[in-house]
Amino acid sequence: MNIWAPILVLGGIALAFALVSVVAGSFTGPRRYNRARLDSYECGIEPTPQPAGGGRFPIKYYVTAMLFIVFDIEIVFLYPWAVTFDALKIFGLVEMLLFIATVFIAYTYVWRRGGLDWD
Amino acid sequence: MTTLAAVGVIPTPSIQYAAIAPMLIIFGVGLVGVLVEAFVPRGLRHVTQVVITLAGIVAAFVSVVVLAGTHRVVVEGAVAIDGPTLFLWGLILALAFLAVLTIAERALDPGGAFTGSAAALPGSAAEREVSAAGITATEVFPLTLFAVGGMMLFPAANDLLTMFVGLEVLSLPLYLMCGLARRRRLLSQEAAMKYFVLGAYSSGFFLFGIALLYGYAGSFRLAAIASAASSQLGNDGLLLGGMALLTVGLLFKIGAVPFHSWVPDVYQGAPTPVTGFMATATKAAGFGALIRVLYVALPGMTWDWRPIMWGVAILTMVVGSVLAVTQNDVKRMLAYSSVAHAGFILTAVIAATRLGTASVLFYLATYGFATIGAFAIVTLVRDSAGEATHLSQWAGLGRRSPVVAGSFALFLLAFAGIPLTSGFTGKFAVFTAALDAGAAPVVIVGVLSSAVAAFFYIRVIVVMFFSAPAPDGPTVVIPSAFTSVAVAIGVAVTVVLGVVPAPILDLANRASLFVR
Amino acid sequence: MELFGRDVWWMVLLKAVVVFVFLVVMTLFTIWFERRVVGRMQHRIGPNRVGPFGLLQSLADGVKLALKEDIVPVAADKIVFFLAPILSVVPAFMVLAVIPFGGEVSIFGHHTMLQLTDLPVGVLYVLAVASVGVYGIVLAGWSSGSTYPLLGALRSSAQVISYEVAMGLSFVAVFLYSGSLSTSQIVGAQKSIWFAVALPISFLVYLVAMVGETNRAPFDLPEAESELVGGFHTEYSSLKFALFFLAEYINMVNVSALATTMFLGGYRPFWPFSQLDTGWWGPLWFMIKLMALLFVFVWLRGTLPRLRYDQFMKLGWKLLIPVSLVWIAFVAVIRTVNSQYGLSRSTIVAGGLSIAGLLIIASFVAEATARRKERAAEGGEVVEETEFDPFAGGHPVPPMPGQRLPVPVGVLALGAAPDGATGLSSPPGGDTDPDDVRADQEDTRA
Repeated sequence: MNIWAPILVLGGIALAFALVSVVAGSFTGPRRYNRARLDSYECGIEPTPQPAGGGRFPIKYYVTAMLFIVFDIEIVFLYPWAVTFDALKIFGLVEMLLFIATVFIAYTYVWRRGGLDWD
Repeated sequence: MTTLAAVGVIPTPSIQYAAIAPMLIIFGVGLVGVLVEAFVPRGLRHVTQVVITLAGIVAAFVSVVVLAGTHRVVVEGAVAIDGPTLFLWGLILALAFLAVLTIAERALDPGGAFTGSAAALPGSAAEREVSAAGITATEVFPLTLFAVGGMMLFPAANDLLTMFVGLEVLSLPLYLMCGLARRRRLLSQEAAMKYFVLGAYSSGFFLFGIALLYGYAGSFRLAAIASAASSQLGNDGLLLGGMALLTVGLLFKIGAVPFHSWVPDVYQGAPTPVTGFMATATKAAGFGALIRVLYVALPGMTWDWRPIMWGVAILTMVVGSVLAVTQNDVKRMLAYSSVAHAGFILTAVIAATRLGTASVLFYLATYGFATIGAFAIVTLVRDSAGEATHLSQWAGLGRRSPVVAGSFALFLLAFAGIPLTSGFTGKFAVFTAALDAGAAPVVIVGVLSSAVAAFFYIRVIVVMFFSAPAPDGPTVVIPSAFTSVAVAIGVAVTVVLGVVPAPILDLANRASLFVR
Repeated sequence: MELFGRDVWWMVLLKAVVVFVFLVVMTLFTIWFERRVVGRMQHRIGPNRVGPFGLLQSLADGVKLALKEDIVPVAADKIVFFLAPILSVVPAFMVLAVIPFGGEVSIFGHHTMLQLTDLPVGVLYVLAVASVGVYGIVLAGWSSGSTYPLLGALRSSAQVISYEVAMGLSFVAVFLYSGSLSTSQIVGAQKSIWFAVALPISFLVYLVAMVGETNRAPFDLPEAESELVGGFHTEYSSLKFALFFLAEYINMVNVSALATTMFLGGYRPFWPFSQLDTGWWGPLWFMIKLMALLFVFVWLRGTLPRLRYDQFMKLGWKLLIPVSLVWIAFVAVIRTVNSQYGLSRSTIVAGGLSIAGLLIIASFVAEATARRKERAAEGGEVVEETEFDPFAGGHPVPPMPGQRLPVPVGVLALGAAPDGATGLSSPPGGDTDPDDVRADQEDTRA
């Protein structure tokens, strides 16, 4: 069998289990209508109205997301480099050090400008 | 450890660092600029950035001069160092030097033309706070350098993937720089947004074109595509489709009709020094890439792309000139005129000869220096709200400050192609090349639209010199040495190229051979 | 690698079912284990009623959850609300597909590996699948249409992506040594030395990142009970809630199994048992290492208070990432120097230790300077001091940032306070300023 096939089998079992659980939840439990219970829970106070689509999030989260992408892409480059490191010898080392240094410069810039600070 | 054996020995790529030294210098200085932003105290940043940026550009220019005469493909076939590449590198660096001078200007507007906090919402309390504290930002310098680096890679790319990387590296900083204006920030941000959205859209075209051509030729290498196109039969759909999409992406960057709609809005909204940079250096890089793709990758397809380019060139010249006539805003007018100029350059692209290449290169030089000078002068005419760009506000400028108005008039005459200016020699070169290749109808349209264009250039001159100045009109602010030098160099080059064009024409002729 | 992809269909099915059951059982067991161990740590007994030693407690809880009402809040986005727990739990199950439990064995006469499958990109697969699980959390919070879940989801997304970077970086040095992304070959490469010993910094970074990645204490900010009620799963009940619970514990098992594979020699035995390196012994060593790591999880929960969000992000972005990058560069350089010139092992170890020491010292120095700078900034610039009214609006209120509690001036002036102290504690926005106080003092002395 293909080496990916077992993953599909496992995924299939897990999916079936999850689907059955989610569906079964509505049958095994009782059903007693109560308007208050179906409200959003907010520690006993009236729930805060939610803007459609979740509203606007602080820009901090977007900055974090962008930084994540930058570093994730760096990792994507680092993995194949690490695997073939012994074959690439000094050339691979120098080029990758340059690459790491380049990303690191951007990183220090973000750090110094407070992009990593949360309050 | 078995994987290594399975993977086999990966050949270590060879990189000719010396041959790409100009790009490495520019990117290296850009990184140093980022470090300066991170570690140098705010007060010293502006002067440090200006010094290292200008020094880096000069150093890169020197290394381009050292490389003169190189004619080979380097970096595993990714970059072609040849005449057109080196000529364009030199041109882009020279234009970038002038652009950086105008970007560095701080005498006109306290804090320069760039906002102190680009992320603050226009009109918000945060923005007022920043401007009250007199905070200025200098990130625009490293951004400029990164854009310059991308512009250098773009026309030098010898395979389509590298070309795409160059395209993105030059575009992304420019998108950002468009939104950095200190005055009229909403307009500026709108420009940045438009440029970004349309630019991303055109990148999509470009990528689709690459994908189709790769499917056709099985290689990204330009020369491999050319040989596949000459030897392979059938599957022309892929080749034609790829060629069309790729060309659309490139025509967007140079602002040719019908892909020009972003030009006026972006040129108007962007900070004027950035507009000058964008209008000249980007155009040089874009045309460089266009002629490399058409001449190196698709030389066998000349009969297929030529009719379309005829149409595009004619449309671009006519639409650019006619719409320029109707403009009341100086920046918008210059934007439409740059569209028209893209059309004039396209007439030489159609030629597909060495003469065509040479005249494209020469025209880019003549157009670049005049344009960057013209935009530099736009920054000088100001009223309380910043730059006064409405044409009516320029009435009588010639009486108030004859030097500034005179320089601007010179640039306009150059745009119109009046003899003894660089514009004339440039137009002469491109039309000769086009006639040589038998594109007489295009040349006729070109001459006619030049006449239309001349009308509105002359109209501006008339307004400046022969109408009475408005009592509450704008003033011409005396700039610091930065802008003065930029304008002076622009004037000098415009005159010199108009009177003794031979050396540069000669250089362009010698630089017109592509390496394959 | 030769044995993978050759199993007959029933073998694949059997292994898949075993992996699935293993994870479910491990979840039930780990929940009980955690409650018992935390109980011991707090001098309690923990659950001991249901089954022997209370072992069936988690099962009873599961059944109880199934019998509860399945509530879908009116404000919820129904479809996404329904999908989120599935999206959270399915990837969690799939991670373990590439983890080797043991070497080659024979089942009913068929030779096979004790591993569901092996991929040439095994670890990349693990990271990819694990990060899909974040969608479950984020969508659960978003679709609930309620404030606390939304906050929890936001925190969780930022948290998981922050620590995923550190986690990804911690693996690079391992790949340098193993020359492969395949989990079975990584285990094979640890025959002579565990990577936890060879690459201590990578291991430490991974240990921290794995706790952050699974949202466990002390990094359990997405479901901080005292701040966000329950975080992203506040609005969930019944079996949907159980699925989130399941996913959390499976993820714990997953990251521990990955740590075992990447750093602790996988199914290979440790010192006194070094000879027992064959066949069915593998799973035993694997389980021992796995349980040790799970114990660490519980230990952390029993010991450490929850971090503040800024501290947490600071740890991830300002410590783990730069340390990892420097460490990768160091390992690569050493490896190259070693292959070119040949270094003795002791030199490498000494070098590694000194670099590790330097990194730690550097981080402390950086921290100290940052502190000093922060303090200087607080003293020096923007914090605008506003007048503080201790009874604003008629209630006693605490001071806001930038405001200070006024000190009764009379006491200060009469006491023999040194000059420095007066400067520190005088009310800056109040009606007295330090010079006045000092003048007062001189007056009294005179």
